[in-house]
Amino acid sequence: MRIPERRNTVERLDRPSAYYVGKNKRRRYDEPEEPKDPMEGLRDATTLYVGNLSFYTTEEQIHELFSKCGEIKRLVMGLDRHNKTPCGFCFVEYYTHQDALDCLKYVGGTKLDERIIRTDLDPGFVEGRQYGRGKSGGQVRDEYREEYDPGRGGYGRAYADDQRQREEDEYGTGR
Amino acid sequence: MADHDRRNHGHRGGGRKRRYREDDDYDRRQRRRYEEPLVVKVRRQLLTIAESAARRAEDDALSIAKSVAENYDDEELRDNFAEIALDLILEQPLKIPFIATIVLVANTIKSELVADVLKRFAERFQSHVNAGAWREVKLLLRFLGCLQCIFEGDGVFAILEELFSRAVDLQTASSEDLIGLELVKIILFTIPYVMASPATGFESHALGLLEKTDIIASTPHTLVDLVNPFGPDTEKSGSIPSVIGLLQTQLQGESTRGWELACLPRPWNNVRDGDEEPKRLEDGPKHAFPETTIPNPVQPGSRAIFPEVYLSVYEDQDMVTVPPTSDIASSLMRDALVDTINIMDFNRIATAKFLIDIDCYFTPNTFVKRATPFDKLRDLPGDRPTWKPEDVAVDAVFSQLFQLPSPEHKLVYYHSVLTECCKIGPAAIAPSLGRAIRFLYRGLDTIDLDLSHRFLDWFTHHLSNFGFTWKWSEWIEDLELPTVHPRIAFIHGALDKEIRLSFAQRIRGTLPDPYQEFISEGKEKDTPDFKYMLDTTPYANEGAEIMQLIRRKASDEEIQPRITAIEEQAAALGVKSPILPSTDAFVTAICFVGSKSLSHVLSCIERNKERLLAIGPKSPAARRQIITSVMEYWVDQPGIGINIIDKLLNYTIITPLSVIEWALVDKLDAGTILAKTHVFEMISATVGKVTNRLRQIVAARTQPGLYEPQLSVLDETLTREKKDMHALFQIIEDTVVSVAGGSNDELMERGDGSGNLPEDEIIRQWGKRWLRVFRRKAAVEEAHIIDSMANAAPVGTNAPTPPPALVEESGPADAVAGADGDLDVADADADGLADIS
Repeated sequence: MRIPERRNTVERLDRPSAYYVGKNKRRRYDEPEEPKDPMEGLRDATTLYVGNLSFYTTEEQIHELFSKCGEIKRLVMGLDRHNKTPCGFCFVEYYTHQDALDCLKYVGGTKLDERIIRTDLDPGFVEGRQYGRGKSGGQVRDEYREEYDPGRGGYGRAYADDQRQREEDEYGTGR
Repeated sequence: MADHDRRNHGHRGGGRKRRYREDDDYDRRQRRRYEEPLVVKVRRQLLTIAESAARRAEDDALSIAKSVAENYDDEELRDNFAEIALDLILEQPLKIPFIATIVLVANTIKSELVADVLKRFAERFQSHVNAGAWREVKLLLRFLGCLQCIFEGDGVFAILEELFSRAVDLQTASSEDLIGLELVKIILFTIPYVMASPATGFESHALGLLEKTDIIASTPHTLVDLVNPFGPDTEKSGSIPSVIGLLQTQLQGESTRGWELACLPRPWNNVRDGDEEPKRLEDGPKHAFPETTIPNPVQPGSRAIFPEVYLSVYEDQDMVTVPPTSDIASSLMRDALVDTINIMDFNRIATAKFLIDIDCYFTPNTFVKRATPFDKLRDLPGDRPTWKPEDVAVDAVFSQLFQLPSPEHKLVYYHSVLTECCKIGPAAIAPSLGRAIRFLYRGLDTIDLDLSHRFLDWFTHHLSNFGFTWKWSEWIEDLELPTVHPRIAFIHGALDKEIRLSFAQRIRGTLPDPYQEFISEGKEKDTPDFKYMLDTTPYANEGAEIMQLIRRKASDEEIQPRITAIEEQAAALGVKSPILPSTDAFVTAICFVGSKSLSHVLSCIERNKERLLAIGPKSPAARRQIITSVMEYWVDQPGIGINIIDKLLNYTIITPLSVIEWALVDKLDAGTILAKTHVFEMISATVGKVTNRLRQIVAARTQPGLYEPQLSVLDETLTREKKDMHALFQIIEDTVVSVAGGSNDELMERGDGSGNLPEDEIIRQWGKRWLRVFRRKAAVEEAHIIDSMANAAPVGTNAPTPPPALVEESGPADAVAGADGDLDVADADADGLADIS
């Protein structure tokens, strides 16, 4: 039996997110292996995924904040697949794993450019991952968002298209 | 969570079916609540003890003690209790008296349980002592101190005496010893908890120990000046006591007042079962003191130890909002809070919660009600203390943020704790921060320069989390001060940093009119102008051509003719170093083409790396021209400039020495450059790169299992790099000392040459403050090398002849240092340097 690591008396903020853990669970669905440690693949991770950025936040701003946790080795901006414009996320790579953990603890959930940003430990940037995976080129979450977010292109794109369609359909029905 | 899951497993399916039966819902809910395993309940009670002001912690202590003691046969419960209790002692020190209370109660019911806890305690204690983890040792001893009444004989005093004799040995061996001081600190911080505990009759023990510690605690350590937050020749520096010196005096005072120790909670005095009188916990069975050995000599541990001083940002107010240093509460609260802050770095939100709830962990009514406005304190009746819980909490965070030479965690951790505190209780915390900011702002001319930069960095980062709102109007009068005045430098630096986290237009909108001129037009330009676009700029044509070539990623061969053209023209004009104008055009063009973002300029540099790398070796002046060109192009946004400089250092296109010489020789400008915050930032970062690199080499040199020939190779690298570092510190010393002493030529030639211009004294002060920072950095690095090398294998140590079976395996040195033992640290390529920077 594996000896469980001594647990802290309060939750740690330097763990991978439920999103990452959940994603891995799904992937392993049909493999009846025994459950793996969620930290696997992240044990030496030096990269962070950073989300909920404004489309207008610059590399320099990100650099300014994130270098408070250590020297940054590489910064990859998330881009709209079609327009190649920033679409609200990025990858920050540090030189050391500890710097990445510290960033989760001290910077994740604080504000950059007046938005609360999200950080998640990431196994490492791979070419292609800088592009949004949403239908219209941006991030998936920006497709269906029903709230207006001026920092992220207004309404969700799919949602906005729907709205427009509905308005067109309804046009004149009351007459 | 694990328990929760386990609990539900057996019920799956079965429970669902029952849902369809009538009248069952009520029954089911009842049962589930009833079925919560005891261990889950106890764990929850234990983990949250004392956290709520609405519950009596004593009642919870009694309930936990009863649950565990009365179910002593439940091994899982017993184990969980003991382990979590010990975890809490080490992670949530504010709760120690409450955990001790549970144990004291349990002792009256089932003393075997306590014997169990003490056994586990001894194991943990021993491992922390062996590792030199002194904070943990201190906290574990505090717990024992609270339990003093259940021990046979002298109890905790025996081990305190032993610690003291180790301290004496260390202090006798070296006057620079710091571990001895740490041991004395542990002793002093244990005594009050023993004296506040239910144990009686130990006054003479405590007094005897205090008489002995006096000589060590009250003698200022040789390094104490190094960590003073105020410069040695300022008024304030004398008012900063050392932590142990202060506590020694306070304890002696308490001893004459019958060990009142008013702020320490005494939950053990108030455990009531029903309506009865409080339980007498000191009458439980006695235990032998846990057996432990203190190694001789003790181990230094992994955290570097420096003397500590007591700093408060609320010391000079007209209303007392934090315990004065004359009250032992100042030391006891600070100590418990600082440990909490530093231990809990893995969850800043929990840290902030502890800070906000500080009044739950000390004697009731020690503080005024939470969020009492400062102005209302005057209206309180005179006999009540006026300590604001928020001020005490915030003060503790600042004491760490302003800890010299450096705090335990990255500075940004302390920023984040203050941010969270503000999020939890904005109305309570924001005014406290406001008063702290004003105190620090007023002290800008006397506070250590490193600390004034930490203040700047925190202030701007904090504002960026709260909409950049600050009452700038209250500093308007100061705008009349000379440009080199520390306050103007601070305002300039703060606005620049705010812009770096945001953008100029946004910051402009937060400023009252008189500040508008600080946001120049240039700061609002995303792309600064390219000077070669103006015909009046010398070499305008060539400069513009080079820019076009770089923009279309032309080959180096295409660029060369333009470079040559500039150099020929310059030579014809009689310019002494024609390489300077050609370098200027080339680097400025790179900056302009790459102005869109950091990645743009980096790829631009990457493409032209060879040419850039070739400049330095040809001419040191040209190497510094690279820096000039970058900093001039980004003159309105120096943050971007120093960022590029930092990357150029990684590429080894420029050297650390060139950066220092650029700022402190070429651009010293009679010392006025010392007032520029971004220059200090740039020099600090550059020095930091060099010292980090050296620390990496030291770590490699001192790793266990390192033998010849790698040993000699690493030792040579270390010697060489150490020399370079010394040279770097020396040039800072030599240049800045002339400013500080007023003997700098330019400084002397300013104005009427009398050196008596009002600004001259300010500039000399800048010089002194710079000197202090970099002398300290040099001393700290030197000490680090000496300490680390103390236990390193000497050069010439050969690997022990391995037993035949192990011949095939490679030693650890091979794995770490590589076959040539060169570790990459000496490699001049950007990657090698970047990897260790």
